[in-house]
Amino acid sequence: MRSARYSLAFVAAFAILLAACTGGQQTTGGGASPTPAAGKPVYGGTVTFGLENDVSDLDPMRSGLFVDRNIMYAMYDSLVRVDPKGNIIPWLAEKWETGSDGKTVTFTLRKDAKFHDGTTFDADAVKWNIDRYRTTQGSRRTADLAAVDSVNVVDSSTVRFNLKLAFAPLLAALVDRAGMMVSKAVHDAAGADFTLKPFKAGTGPFILTEAVKNDHYTLEKNPNWWGKDKDGNKLPYLEKIIVRPIVDDDVRLTNLRTGNVQVMNDIAGKDVPAVKTDPSLNYQEVGALAFNSMVPNEAPGFIFSEHRYVKAVAMALDRDELLQKGSQQGVGLVGWGPITPAHFAWDPNFKPWPKADPEGAKRLIAEVGRGPLKFELLVQSGSASTLQQAQLIQDQLKRADITADIKTQLFNDIVTLQQQKKHLGMTLVGWSGRLDPDGNTYDFVVTGSPNNDSSYSNAKVDELMKQQRAEPDPAKRKALLLEAQQIYVVDDPSRVWYSFEISPIISVKNLVGLEAHPDRIPRFHTGWLQK
Amino acid sequence: MTRYILRRLLLMVPVAFLVTIGVFVLVRLSPGDPVLVFAGEERDPAVLAAMRQELGLDQPMPAQYVAWVTRLAQGDLGRSFQTRQRVLEAITERLPATLELGLAALLISVTLALAVGILSAIKRNSVVDLLSTSVTLAGVSFPSFFLGIVLILLFAYVIPGRIFPPGGYVPFTQDAGDNLRRLVLPALTLATASLAINLRQVRSSLLDVFGQDYMRTARAKGLREGTVIVRHALKNALIPVVTLIGIQIGAIIEGAFITETIFFWPGIGRLAVTAIPSGDYPVVQGVVLVSALSFMLTTLLVDLLYAWLDPRISYEKVGA
Amino acid sequence: MSGATLPVALHLRQADRATAIRYFARRNPRMLIGGAMVLTWLLLALLAPFIAPYDPIKVNVSGALQPPSGIHFLGTDDLGRDVFSRVLWGSRVSLSVGVISVSIGFLVGVTLGLAAGYLGGTFDLLVMRAIDALLAFPALVLAIAITAALGPQIQNAMIAIGIVAVPAYARLTRGQVLSVRAREFIVAARTIGCSPLRIVLRHIFPNVTNALIVQATLSTAFAILAEAALSFLGLGPQPPDPSWGQDVNYSQRYLPNLKWWMSVGPGVAIFTAVFAFNFLGDALRDALDPRLRRSA
Repeated sequence: MRSARYSLAFVAAFAILLAACTGGQQTTGGGASPTPAAGKPVYGGTVTFGLENDVSDLDPMRSGLFVDRNIMYAMYDSLVRVDPKGNIIPWLAEKWETGSDGKTVTFTLRKDAKFHDGTTFDADAVKWNIDRYRTTQGSRRTADLAAVDSVNVVDSSTVRFNLKLAFAPLLAALVDRAGMMVSKAVHDAAGADFTLKPFKAGTGPFILTEAVKNDHYTLEKNPNWWGKDKDGNKLPYLEKIIVRPIVDDDVRLTNLRTGNVQVMNDIAGKDVPAVKTDPSLNYQEVGALAFNSMVPNEAPGFIFSEHRYVKAVAMALDRDELLQKGSQQGVGLVGWGPITPAHFAWDPNFKPWPKADPEGAKRLIAEVGRGPLKFELLVQSGSASTLQQAQLIQDQLKRADITADIKTQLFNDIVTLQQQKKHLGMTLVGWSGRLDPDGNTYDFVVTGSPNNDSSYSNAKVDELMKQQRAEPDPAKRKALLLEAQQIYVVDDPSRVWYSFEISPIISVKNLVGLEAHPDRIPRFHTGWLQK
Repeated sequence: MTRYILRRLLLMVPVAFLVTIGVFVLVRLSPGDPVLVFAGEERDPAVLAAMRQELGLDQPMPAQYVAWVTRLAQGDLGRSFQTRQRVLEAITERLPATLELGLAALLISVTLALAVGILSAIKRNSVVDLLSTSVTLAGVSFPSFFLGIVLILLFAYVIPGRIFPPGGYVPFTQDAGDNLRRLVLPALTLATASLAINLRQVRSSLLDVFGQDYMRTARAKGLREGTVIVRHALKNALIPVVTLIGIQIGAIIEGAFITETIFFWPGIGRLAVTAIPSGDYPVVQGVVLVSALSFMLTTLLVDLLYAWLDPRISYEKVGA
Repeated sequence: MSGATLPVALHLRQADRATAIRYFARRNPRMLIGGAMVLTWLLLALLAPFIAPYDPIKVNVSGALQPPSGIHFLGTDDLGRDVFSRVLWGSRVSLSVGVISVSIGFLVGVTLGLAAGYLGGTFDLLVMRAIDALLAFPALVLAIAITAALGPQIQNAMIAIGIVAVPAYARLTRGQVLSVRAREFIVAARTIGCSPLRIVLRHIFPNVTNALIVQATLSTAFAILAEAALSFLGLGPQPPDPSWGQDVNYSQRYLPNLKWWMSVGPGVAIFTAVFAFNFLGDALRDALDPRLRRSA
């Protein structure tokens, strides 16, 4: 919708990025149609958004939870954004240019954006924000911006990022919290309250005016927002958004059905078929950036230091059955690696084991020659759907004579064991996904990286992954990413990947104009209520 | 009396001290590092170290305990790791929901227990008596989470019209009718177990009183049976019932953990149950401590009430 | 519990008890019924491998979520496992948790109670304050906290439930010890030079057994219920082992789809097993506790 307005105008400036994004759009079939033609948008109305959990922090610098971003996307603008197809689009930055050596990026900023408190948004604001994210102790954005060496204000609407090294994934990081712009005046005045009550702190389509912990958050329309729809009408249409955390899936859905809530973006797999056919609801979905995996401990002394065992497990899994009958209940896609259909580097033909191969797994284990494979599978206690999933995996592995002993532990204990690399066998852990495939891969497979909980190390993979980071040409980058994937998934496996998630958005019938995005975050500025 | 109260309160101090140690040790025994959970997908060691420092988790265990108890003495339960909300605030916020549920359950169980208990004591060994004793035993034996599920099944999916919704909470101030409708099933679930115990207590203490000399005297004086029961028997039999009501604070706190979980009731029990797996120490410590202390205080209160009601009890012979 | 003046009298008391039981079994069929119900569950648990029609952990996803039928009496769960077979096998977990945790509570509680009552002084004071601290927590909350702290495994659930049961035994025993300690036969035993251990075991302990038997039966009922509750919260046995509480929890999410049978099988099993022990305990109390015999 709104992306159409920009995508032609700036083709030249970010041809690289557009090209980078042509690969990946795929949905799981039925129900993925965008909101049908709904007539001419009308202004006004209040929408209640049932969020899956309470937010932890509304300061983009400190936030560490997915839920936070659902509110942030309405109140803050970031330098760039992403459209439903995964293309990076201009936002507060109207255009940008990467230097020939890849070590500078120059952004040209909008001149009509203002913070909710009335202060101006300009290059100084960008520098202050980026420097705050980069240099504040305890900032959670340092990793996103690690490649940035300094930020220069060229003039009031031009700002230049000087990089330590060419870093292709930087722009994708600026889509999210690392690129969100906060009013310095509000930040300084709010002090410690800024984390949960950053009132009037953004430039976005809605203004945060009320925050009652565990109860609700109120976002009111920003009448001075810069965005316009394709007919030139001012956005947003909605008058008010109330965000209400409702943790339980069943309760949230009941609230949607009874009209207490008009929109939500999280649903249990088992409820999807009913929701898709419910005439009073709109259901949309799009392939997500998230993957599900089993994390072996490959450190010396542990069973899976023998990588052929990891491969045997990967071969023995019946991914179709797991997707259909496991916790996802058919809602998602089977997968073999970390790069999802929503990424530009997605390779639809990468299916190393299109069918479960228990016999092949048996042969591989026999080849190792240390008798039957038996390992401990750590599963979060108290989560019925995870337990069901684990028991199904256990049964599938049994078909290849592999014994997976399920051991339930508190979530916190599993996370700790895994990150300290002390888990005996495997854990079941997913990743919420990042826009750039680098965020789904690098830290998981490169030697010594923070998310490399399997203690995986492969010199060739390290080299390929470093090369792709510096590679400005998307086609070449994709080739490098896929070459590495073949190694760390098949030839010398680091983990067992088995499925991808989908990102749904479910609303009442008369709330239209919202589009599902791979990151699952609703963009309220295009939504409106039919009379 | 004052001396007795003072002594009881003084005796509570070492116990409360032991309780704080118990709570702290229990919560900290788990091997997990909560920072890893609250950091979400953040894995930068510098960030994790900063968080650990901010939360005081970089200190040795005894120092953490001392810090906790010191703040505790000033009425500060600390902040939730996850939400950074003050734990005291988180608890007081959820207390109304828990209290509403608990009081409703208490009301149901005490009224029913009195009515049925009196009836079955009067008509001893009758069909009513037999029925009520069997139901009593069944009630104690029924797992509350299963009862909750049966009720949800019945009212939400079998009996048409969804008279009572299967869960969720709406504040009374927001929609009183909806609030009460949603209260029915969890309150019934929570009431059942204590109803059974109450009923048994009412019945047996009435029977006990019936056998006493003053009852015979009252009857011999020619008083009407109804007057005898109300004026003499019931008044005396109520003493242990009062005790029971007090003790039920424990049952309610306990039941809250499970009943609130099944019915998605946003009370303190659910607060703790959701905080356990993620290792939100301050919240778990806070809830367990508050429930233990309120349990201790009500037990004391009931003891005092009991002593006041029944002059035969000596104030001096307490403890060991 | 009165009358005995010399150690010899104890044998008479035991005979007394046997007579009382027989008398009440005839007079009061409740004990027989209760005993029969308990015995039935014990037999079912013992014979589960022979009676259960299916392997309780055999996954068969193509036959998942089938309603009860002649083939699957109680239907199948979401992995296609036979609910009836899981209920039968689950009894082994529940009953063994009941027995083991009550044994823990019994042994620790009685030992502490005997020691505290007999020794008195500082030891008594310390033990009783610790018991008070345990009693300061609502029982189930304490069991949840201990299991969560030790790790969500069945052995830890047993330990937790056992610890929670300790105060009842300790207080009961200590109270009895205090009341008999000054009696003539103890004083007599002491003067003829019996060792303290012998006095405690031979002369004091038998005086508490009636009350302890009742307490043990009733706390087995509590233990089964508590195990179910812990498992329900995910703090019980490891999957895929069948466990009643866990299976009820597991099935809860299918309620909106009206797959009720997954909950009802294990739920009814918990209820009947707990009911059996409560029923028996109640009957025993009436039979063995003369004070209650009058009023009940």
